[in-house]
Amino acid sequence: MIPVWSALAEFSLGAVVLAPLLAAAVSMLVPLPARRVLGAAVGLLVAGLVVPLVVSVSAGEVPELVLGGFEAPVGIHLRADGLGAVFLAVTALVGLVLTGYAAVLPAAEGRCAGPKGWQQGHPGFWPLWLGCWSGLNAVVVSGDLFNLYVGLELVGLTAVALVALGGRGSWEAALRYLFVAVLGSLLFLAGVGLLVSVTGTLDIAQTREALAEVADPEAPLLALVLMTLGLGMKAALLPMHRWLVPAHSSAPSGVSPILSGLVIKAALVVLLRAWLWAVPLSGGAQSHAAVQWLAWLLGALGAAAVLGGSVLALRQTRLKPLVAYSTVAQIGYWFLAFPLLVSAEHDDALAAGAYGAVIALAAGHAIAKAGLFAAAGLLKDRYGTDEIAALRGAGAHHPALILAMGLCAVGLIGLPVSLGFTGKWQLATAAIGAGQWWLIVVLAAGTLLAAGYLLRGIAPLLLQSEDEPAAAKPVSVRERLGESAVMLLGLATIGTGLLGAWLGDLLGVGAWW
Amino acid sequence: MLTGLDTITWYLMIAAAVTVFGMVRLLLVRDLLARLIALDVTGIGVLLTLVALAARSQAPDAVLQALVITGLVIAVAFTGLGAVLIRRIEGARDDDDAAVPDRAPDEQTPGADSEQDHGLSPHDQGGDPQ
Repeated sequence: MIPVWSALAEFSLGAVVLAPLLAAAVSMLVPLPARRVLGAAVGLLVAGLVVPLVVSVSAGEVPELVLGGFEAPVGIHLRADGLGAVFLAVTALVGLVLTGYAAVLPAAEGRCAGPKGWQQGHPGFWPLWLGCWSGLNAVVVSGDLFNLYVGLELVGLTAVALVALGGRGSWEAALRYLFVAVLGSLLFLAGVGLLVSVTGTLDIAQTREALAEVADPEAPLLALVLMTLGLGMKAALLPMHRWLVPAHSSAPSGVSPILSGLVIKAALVVLLRAWLWAVPLSGGAQSHAAVQWLAWLLGALGAAAVLGGSVLALRQTRLKPLVAYSTVAQIGYWFLAFPLLVSAEHDDALAAGAYGAVIALAAGHAIAKAGLFAAAGLLKDRYGTDEIAALRGAGAHHPALILAMGLCAVGLIGLPVSLGFTGKWQLATAAIGAGQWWLIVVLAAGTLLAAGYLLRGIAPLLLQSEDEPAAAKPVSVRERLGESAVMLLGLATIGTGLLGAWLGDLLGVGAWW
Repeated sequence: MLTGLDTITWYLMIAAAVTVFGMVRLLLVRDLLARLIALDVTGIGVLLTLVALAARSQAPDAVLQALVITGLVIAVAFTGLGAVLIRRIEGARDDDDAAVPDRAPDEQTPGADSEQDHGLSPHDQGGDPQ
């Protein structure tokens, strides 16, 4: 690797966190049109900064940055390994497209009480979204548990405030989200505190080393349980999912894709860091049995989420709640893989396959779901409703949008070519390798149900409507630009499907095995 | 009776009790302000645990204390955000009660409408210049 690239990657590592945070502060000082320009500029800047990081990681390096020269355990340690690089890239791609979407469509930013009643466009969107982006990047590049916590809180609090931009109908959903998100982070904090009390360090690598020498497995195990419970709440795993649907479906159309596509993934990344990096699962025999039990519990809840979420999605009559329940179902797939990640045989190839499957599914979901939610929001803003029956025939005015929704649906169902397919294929391969045939059944049922609810949501848009829909007004240029943003995400859903092999190589860099 | 317990264990037990009381109250109570305060109590319980764990060694653990201070800052932030949201929700309810006197006050209790958002009710769209 050329030294210039390495230096650039190191610089980018700090900048991807600090640039959006600084821009969030600056955007508070300028009027709304300038905020849109600033947001778009920062989006381009962050996407540009991620490029050297991804190049550097794909060359096999792990860029690290010790802020201010304070070494661990006191200092702040940033590190971009394969997991970090993948999620930085996905966040940059989805974030940049959604920034453009929100910049051209005022309704996407939410609604604001003005002197003449409720007005479209909320100036608060930009500082909150940029702060959220900074938190997302901080979570994925953080090398210590403390910054994971801080990043997670930054993401959580800005996400709650973003939901509340949707006007009075969204405030109760936002408050409910706040309660769950904060309780989840408190449990995570308790787990971190417990780990620190045993190891004396916050750095993830040092925690792992210190825990390998700890004879008594109870404290780390309790910590892992607390962290898993807290992060399960934030990731909306099935019995803890009920906050997600009102929050994601009542949020403004520019916010729902951010929440469903990106914010949920932050909790998943932290969970993977805790399970695979921080706590060595091969501790004692007794600890391992308990960890396996926990992994099987997560797997069972994941299966319940895939099936239950899909069935509930089938029963929705409105587009945004349907898409939100689809998120509940897709979250289940990530947890399905946990029993394979910590199998009793310590089969690293099996664990690597399951891990690759989780990341491919999560990355594919981020892109496809962001596109689908953006499309649903656009239709809801234009026609004033997202009742599927009322949107019948709307496709005649938006052929490109419907095509883009179809491309996103390919990714969510898991048809080739998409990361959803890659992920399901890898998960099925790992399941066969481990002899867990029930997983294949869940995967197949989930795929069929996903095809069913997506067809149920999208097909009526294409049907001929009996009476001409109320929206005879022509589609404006801004709406066309918004549609092209959705199209970009749809094309990215298919395009990233070709990168499956490269993704696998990338994830091997700096992995825990 | 309590001579068998040292001070740290005492504090840990109190912290666990505070945390559990806060969580139970958070899950059971309907009133929004009471829920927010229950969340604060849970936070205090968690932070108390960390303080007690930090005090086990002769020189208190600086890393855990740093966690507690950050936790306090974040507790202030979420309490503020929650208070603003509650004030807006209650304010909107008062407006509704003034505008539509025959609306039952319990119509908008949180949780009752959990499976649907209500951003699209005709009343909400009243002032929306679409």
